[in-house]
Parts: sequence; C-alpha cells; structure tokens
Amino acid sequence: MTGPAAEQDAATTVMVVDDHPMWREAVARDLGERGHHVVATAGDAAAAGRIARAVRPDVVVLDLNLGTASGVDVTRDVVGALPGTRVLVLSASAEQSDVLEAVKAGASGYLVKSASLDELDDAVRRTAAGDAVFSAGLAGLLLGEFRRLQSGPDDGVPKLTEREVEVLRLVSRGLSARQIAERLVLSHRTVENHVQNTLRKLHLHNRVELTRYAIEHGLTDT
Amino acid sequence: MPERTTRAAERGPDLVVPLWRAVIAFRVLTLGLAVGGWAFARDEYPGTLAPVLLLVAMAVWTAVTSVAYARASGRRTRSAVVDLAGTLVVIALTLTTQSTEGLHGSAPIITGIWVAGPAFALALTEGRDGGAAGAVVVWVAVTALRARVGDAEFGNLVLLMVSSVLVGYAATTTRRATVALQEATAAAAAAAERERLSRSIHDGVLQVLAAVRRRGEQIGGEAADLARLAAEQEVALRALMSAGPTTAAGRTDLAASLRLLATPRVQVVTPAGPLPLPSATVHELTAVVREALTNTAAHAGDDARAWVSVEEDDTGVLVSVRDDGRGIEPGRLDAAVLDGHRGISQSICGRVRDLGGTATLRSAPGEGTEWELVVPVPQAVRR
Repeated sequence: MTGPAAEQDAATTVMVVDDHPMWREAVARDLGERGHHVVATAGDAAAAGRIARAVRPDVVVLDLNLGTASGVDVTRDVVGALPGTRVLVLSASAEQSDVLEAVKAGASGYLVKSASLDELDDAVRRTAAGDAVFSAGLAGLLLGEFRRLQSGPDDGVPKLTEREVEVLRLVSRGLSARQIAERLVLSHRTVENHVQNTLRKLHLHNRVELTRYAIEHGLTDT
Repeated sequence: MPERTTRAAERGPDLVVPLWRAVIAFRVLTLGLAVGGWAFARDEYPGTLAPVLLLVAMAVWTAVTSVAYARASGRRTRSAVVDLAGTLVVIALTLTTQSTEGLHGSAPIITGIWVAGPAFALALTEGRDGGAAGAVVVWVAVTALRARVGDAEFGNLVLLMVSSVLVGYAATTTRRATVALQEATAAAAAAAERERLSRSIHDGVLQVLAAVRRRGEQIGGEAADLARLAAEQEVALRALMSAGPTTAAGRTDLAASLRLLATPRVQVVTPAGPLPLPSATVHELTAVVREALTNTAAHAGDDARAWVSVEEDDTGVLVSVRDDGRGIEPGRLDAAVLDGHRGISQSICGRVRDLGGTATLRSAPGEGTEWELVVPVPQAVRR
C-alpha cells in the first residue's frame, strides 16, 4: 500500500543489514540519494545488534538471510533493546516462514527484495513514522497465521473481526488502501486502522505467549 | 518384488536380515533339540549308527544353509528351495532309523521340528504364500512317514501353517518398511542437498542478479533491458528454491506449486506453511490459475500487474487471481466473445466446476479483473 509520505523534520536515520556487500552498498546508496541518513551498515547478526545499540537508528532495513544466523533473532534483539528503533524486513519472497517469525518478533513491515526503489523509499518513511508497511505478501502471511492459531486449541488466541479478515484479504490481493476503502465503503483512515490492528493483535499475542513461556520456565528476572 | 529387494539390499540396510538370523538360530536350536531328543530316548531306536549318521547329516545341512543364509547372495528363493529339497532327503532318510511299523505306530521321528526351517526361509523370500507352500510340502513329507492323518498330524499342520504364514507376513511388512526407510533416507539427503544448493544460490547468483537489476533500472536505456532479464531470472530462481516437493503420498503443496508462477509482474501471496492437497486438485488448480494469468497478460495491458493469493478456510481453499489492468467494460461482452475472452472464462469455470468449486469473475473498466476460485476440500483429505 502506498500512502502519503510522513513529514520529515530531520532525515530518517537508517541502518542496512545484509550479508551480501554488493546488495548492502546498493541499498545504502539508493536510500542516501533519496534523502535518508544511512548511519551504519552491518553484514552479520552479531555486528547488527552491537552497531544498532551504538547508533540507535530510526529504522533498521534488515535482510532475514544472514548466512549462519537468522534475521529473526536480530529483529527480536533490536526491538527488545531499542524501543525507538523500528525494523523493516527486506527479504526474498522464498523465506515466507522467516518473514512471519520476524513480524511476530516485532518487525513493523515487510517488503520483497524485488520492490522498486520508490516502494522502498516510501516504506522506510512510513516505518520511521510508526506505520506498518503492509504489502500483499504480509497480509497473506497474517491471514494464514490467524487461521492457523484458530485451528489450534482455543487458549486465548486472538481473533480477527470479519471486517479485518475482509480488509486483509483485499490487501493480499494487491488492492491499495484507497481501492479497499472504495470497495467496502469505508474511509481511508478506517482501512489503515483495521490493518494496523491486525498487526497489533499478533504482536500482543506474541508478547503474551513469550511472557507465559517465561513464567512457566522460570526465566523472569524478578 | 525379489528384484526390488536385491536392489534395496545394495542400497542400504535391509531390515529383513535379522529375520534370516532368526531362521539360522531356529535351525541350530532345533538341531540341538533333535540331538537331545535322541539321547534321551535312545532305546526307542532299533540301531545306533543310523540315527547318529542322520544327526550328522542334519548338522552338515544346518551348517550349509546357515552359511548360505548369512550372506546376502544366499538369501533368495533358490536357496530356500534347495534347503527344502535337502530337508526332504533328510526326512526320507528317517526311514533308516526306524522300522516302517514303528513309524506307522508311535515311534519318535528324529528330525522333530527342525524340518520347519525351509518353510520359514521360503516365507522370508516369498512372503505369506511361500511360507504356506513350504509348510504344506514339509507336512506332507512328514505325514507320509506316519501314513495316517489323525488329530496330532492335523494339529501339526495348523501350527506349521500359522507360524510360516506369520513369518511371511512379518517378512513382507519388514520389506515394505525397508523400502520406506530407504526412500525417507533418500528424501532427507535430497532435502539437505537442496538446502546446500539454495544457500549457495542465495549467496551468489541471486545477489548478482538483484544488483544487476537495481543498477540497470537506474542507468536506463539498454541496461534497463538487462535489468528486466535479470529480474525475471531472479524471480524464477527464488520460486524454484522455495518450491517444495510432494509433501506426502499423493499430496502436493498448493502454496509451493502456485509460487512457481511468480514473475516480476505477478506476485504470489501464500500463508507461511504448506497447503498439502490431493495432487490432482493442485495440478488442476495451478493450471486454472496459469490460464487466468495468461488471459491477464493478453488483455489487461502491458503495464498491468497481477496478484495470485491463496487462503485456506474451514471448507476448502480460496484462490484469487487479480490484475490491475484495463478490465472489461460491460458493453464489451460481445467483443470479448470475439477476442476469445469468454472462451477462456468458460474453460476456467468448467475446470473449477469439475473440482466441485465455483469460479466468479468481477471486472469493471479501469479496475482490472478479478477471478475468485472457491474449491471445497473434504475434511478427511486435509491435514
């Protein structure tokens, strides 16, 4: 979904994490040319966590396939350690289950690597502004995940409202927020809210699950 | 089956081998029983030399067959038949140890249950039927010595048949398990190899293709053509890497199958997990989606993009094929008939109907076209 770019007071600070130098440098250069301030790059998971803590970027543009370590761990690490930093997953479409894990771990958005520079630029701006970057691919993953949760034991799993399912379904078919608003006779803002809510429900559920796991296994600090 | 077994034996561990060891152990143990039986009832035999010679012959035959059954080349029907012939000779030689009157009466037969060995061996090579046939032959030979069929003989037959048939079943089941195990091992090896290939493709070729596409688009001109080619190959390679093989017997992952249709203009949206459905349904649905996409490519316009999305619900799967092209104007239906649009529509509707589902087309000028395919999948054939 494309929308109006968020207003920028200062340039967004961005960190690019990818294990392939050629790709990493290209993305960093492109984002720089579009007015973003690329403050750091990293090629592996350990460096990513360390450097992110030092530079505290607004947005981490993250490839999930980092050779030995998974970008999912980086997402969990960064989101947990740096409340002001948001993670935008830029990934190959082949890594579906990893993308879902990263989003559950707190990533704010997902863009396929084949996205155009305009799309990437817009996604970074929206992520920095606190919006979820909702591509068709992510909508499909969320629909599948809520569906999977509901087919399991009903133990406080989050449910989507019919309207939310309807909206996600249309997003997964590539419709823009404007087109969805027209088709469902809703305001543009309402559509955006529905989309944000689905992601929030999943994040909330994931935090509840993690807390429950921690308590059950005695991992809490107190 | 025997040929397949030979091949299986060459490929990896054969789970039937322990059963052969059991047959060897049975032979040796029952030989011991025969010796013991003779030693305890020596006065029931008219002479000493004949029983001893026969026991020696049994020992030699036990050694010969054990050596044969201990080797992969000896574990075959031919060996078991030779074993059966040798055992029949031993049974015939029993006539030298007892008088005919004694045998027709209740005099002990020295071989005892040792004679069941070849029946079990046949059961191992030929399964249930081989075991039953071997049991009948052995029983007929032993019963011929007694020259009568009473309760005892009938009981022997039942025991011999039941045990041989059971051994035969065990052998057949184990042989199938062996094949399944070898297939699973091969599949695991293939998956590991695929994983290794995927990783090296991801780290190398894909990164270069992505970089070429990126720079090419920025430079423009002829470089943009190169970028387009690189983009096509990038998408195709990624789809190939993510495509799963058949998930189980007769089932294929619909999500993986549809992902192969992705191109730079066509995005395929699926859940994270596999959607295993009957292979025939998957192939037909994939073909229908491909047809709808072909239609899109032909009618929607050059810049049109398309989305294929697949979703699972309580009753089956929901597949949507949407493009953002020109769409069909209401008044253009006749023209659509002329340019083949309707022919394709009918074909899509028909094929989905054959799957027990429904296909709906919605379209408006400037809004593109959208196919919605709803295909029920009975609960029984799902996960």
